[in-house]
Amino acid sequence: MNRTVLIIGIIIVAAIVFILFAGLGKDPQHIDSPLIGKPAPPFTLKSVNTGETIDLQSLRGKPVIVNFWATWCVPCYEEHPTLVANARQLPNVQFIGVVFNDTEEKINRFLAERGSAYPTLLDANGKTAIAYGVGGVPETYFINPAGTIVAKFEGPLSTEQLQENLAKALR
Amino acid sequence: MIATFFFLALLQIKVPDAAAIVGQPQGVPLTGSQLEQRTMAISAELRCPVCQGLAIGDSPSIMAANMKAQVRELLERGYTEEQILSYFEKSYGQFVLLKPKFQGVNALVWILPIAVLAIGFVLVVSKAKKLEVAPAVKSEEPADDPYLARVREMVDKS
Repeated sequence: MNRTVLIIGIIIVAAIVFILFAGLGKDPQHIDSPLIGKPAPPFTLKSVNTGETIDLQSLRGKPVIVNFWATWCVPCYEEHPTLVANARQLPNVQFIGVVFNDTEEKINRFLAERGSAYPTLLDANGKTAIAYGVGGVPETYFINPAGTIVAKFEGPLSTEQLQENLAKALR
Repeated sequence: MIATFFFLALLQIKVPDAAAIVGQPQGVPLTGSQLEQRTMAISAELRCPVCQGLAIGDSPSIMAANMKAQVRELLERGYTEEQILSYFEKSYGQFVLLKPKFQGVNALVWILPIAVLAIGFVLVVSKAKKLEVAPAVKSEEPADDPYLARVREMVDKS
């Protein structure tokens, strides 16, 4: 009897230790996106900085990087120069910024102060962000030329991380 | 809502629509207090993605407010609770559901507590049965106990 109880106890403790160990080092805010491998949700939004209307579906045929950000997001300040520099160096890749819960005035001031190299679209009510499963900003989605989401990156991107994820869109 | 639709159309703005994700509404469009009640009830079932275990109905975050507004709009358009939960699940995965579905690894959340209770019950019952059938402890003294023999001898002498 004591042996049975001991074995059951060991099994339960081992299972708990395994679950805790498996979770170690993982970001508790990380959300595995069910959209990887699925068509990118289509949207048509107005660019705050260029005034043009951008339809995602019209960009088929080239890789697209969709970066969700906001002027009230501190890590977005850190990430912005990386995105601008890479957008200038990679003319065959379409970079798009999508800003939610923000104002045109603040966005334009941000871009005027920190530079701009691609359209920044306003997602006024956050519906586009919800459709992409955005948890927080910054968050970046990599879309291949066929319009399929191939990668999602949470947090501020470095050039290495950007290029590593972009490579998936170029395969 | 209709005004918003025409305003967005005027600007040629199109955001991803629920119809493309979960199909046409299968319920009745809600208004008034019923709309508020259902919005609160469904908001209590959806996890805020930027919080620690909070429902969107309880979170003060911007993201949660956007999601709650989306729930409300979908109810106004006649989407059912099942469709609305499915709409968010398709974007955020099962993570967004505060009540996990009974499938895959998530099934363990439902099964394990019941299994542990059942195992505990079986152990207690089997232990109790063994106690019932255990032989009574003999109260007879061993005849050849030298200590008792010595005690008897001392009592007899006194």
